[in-house]
Amino acid sequence: MISFDLQLSRSGFSLDVSGVFDDGITAIFGPSGAGKSTLLNCIAGSLRPDGGWIELDDRVLFSSAEATRVATWTAPEKRRIGTVYQDGALFPHLDVQRNIEFGYRLIPESSRRFDPLELAEFLGLSGLLSRKPAELSGGERQRVAIARALAISPNLLLLDEPLASLDAARRGSVLNYLKRVHVEFEIPMIYVSHSVTEVVSIASKAMLLREGRVAGFDRPSALLLRAAAMGSVVGADPDAAGPDAAGTPTDRFENILDGVIGESTDHSTIVRVGDIEISTRRQNRNPGDSVVVSLGASQIILAASRPVNLSARNIVKGMVVEVWSSGGMVFTEIDAGPKFIVEITENAMSELGITVGNEVFLVFKSSSVDVFDA
Amino acid sequence: MNSDISIVALSLQTAIVATAVTLPLGMFFAWLLVRKDFRGKFALDVLVSLPLALPPVVIGYVLLWAVGSNAWLGQLSVSLFGSTIAFTWFAAALAAAVVSFPLVVRSFAAALAGVDPRLEIAARGLGAGPARTFVTVTLPLAYRGVIAGVLLGFVRALSEFGATIVVAGNIPGRTQTIPSAIFTRISTGDTDAAWRLVIVSVVIGIAALAIHNWLLKRSGPGYARQGGSN
Repeated sequence: MISFDLQLSRSGFSLDVSGVFDDGITAIFGPSGAGKSTLLNCIAGSLRPDGGWIELDDRVLFSSAEATRVATWTAPEKRRIGTVYQDGALFPHLDVQRNIEFGYRLIPESSRRFDPLELAEFLGLSGLLSRKPAELSGGERQRVAIARALAISPNLLLLDEPLASLDAARRGSVLNYLKRVHVEFEIPMIYVSHSVTEVVSIASKAMLLREGRVAGFDRPSALLLRAAAMGSVVGADPDAAGPDAAGTPTDRFENILDGVIGESTDHSTIVRVGDIEISTRRQNRNPGDSVVVSLGASQIILAASRPVNLSARNIVKGMVVEVWSSGGMVFTEIDAGPKFIVEITENAMSELGITVGNEVFLVFKSSSVDVFDA
Repeated sequence: MNSDISIVALSLQTAIVATAVTLPLGMFFAWLLVRKDFRGKFALDVLVSLPLALPPVVIGYVLLWAVGSNAWLGQLSVSLFGSTIAFTWFAAALAAAVVSFPLVVRSFAAALAGVDPRLEIAARGLGAGPARTFVTVTLPLAYRGVIAGVLLGFVRALSEFGATIVVAGNIPGRTQTIPSAIFTRISTGDTDAAWRLVIVSVVIGIAALAIHNWLLKRSGPGYARQGGSN
């Protein structure tokens, strides 16, 4: 468990945040310049706050004299907090194996929980051990960065926009690895992102930051509701350019689900996601292969009753769990076994009479579903 | 011929000592200028580079004053060795070190600036203290620039003339280096002897450059810096 209450001011920016994160995956999200990375750097120890305190599993990593009478400072190398950066920050002069072993060699033998070579195997890097970072793809680099961070048997894993420099296919794959890492190694994670898609699909809790202050701390989907009500939809920051501006949930939300390949016909392939079956375009994959399925929130049609005589191949029954509106659009969270976020218009919502607890049918075409390697 | 050998030996000795002194000091100042923010950084930057902008004779004259018994550096050497270091080979090494110092610092600074500071932050987070981070991450990544800086400093020290002749003189067998010996031989019309040392200078220059290139090659392929945004 990590808890903190810290203040920091720099020219034109101040951070004043507090929170308590449990041992699950907690996301920190918000527009660029909100202080996400600054908070992460304070926790990692690469930045020293002006005041307050940070505590990790009953160990005080930092406290100012005002907060605890005696100032405390634990150097970053003594914290045992693993960090995965946006582009990996791998050591370019070392091969994959030496990158992974870099921190492993520096921790006492008695506290080594994971073997570097087993970590490499777990992250699908066994064949790349003698490669240099320059010879790796973006996704491979991020997996090496994850292995390197895990090799120090960290008490906490910090992920600073780990998928931001990857394309959509690799994003799903790395995201899936991160989920498996959390299940397998039981290491608490803090996941910094401006992507609502990532936050909703990986985190159990999320903290919304705006201009250096905590604007909300809740379940990710519930937090979206609050963010929308406050008119501070993530990414709607007018100053934000490039990928940050594109992080707006109104146009970019993707449902990302884990699935397994099922039977194929000449033109379509079934992907099992939890208890439901999704029809997709024909995949050149074998039954039993693990995949990641991506489906845009705006690609799904909602129906109040089961539609008939339809060309769309997928009709899935579910229940409305949450409804919130943002910028003239309405987002609903539907529990159909796996949970889906669906985007509809205000008019459609009032005509259909969609409210929490309603039974609805999700309708989408096979061609709307993208399938990636897990 | 015997005097030629002692001249070359003394030149190499002063240049090597000068390089050995400027290497750690130059690294420290380069690191300070590139990685640290402090008041007076601009002034320090100017001060470090100043010898580059001054005639070597001026540097020699200032050094002569500094090592004299009226200045604290001179008093220090008097209390340590019983005499000032003026007109000794120490003075020649000091002159060479001061003159080559800006070149060394500038090369090292450029090399350190080319190392992504986030890699150092990553190393710290993985459990490496500041010294280990410097040795295992910063230095290997700055390797090329450091080698270039060492070579530049060494050849500049070897070719030093103006400051050396003022603070160390041109005493055969004691402070006479290759440049000052060539100067003497040209002035006295002993051109054959001058040419011998000219050839020796060329040979040493080629050898230094060859070692430089060999060391760079040893850093091997796959060294290319990792691409990445912000």
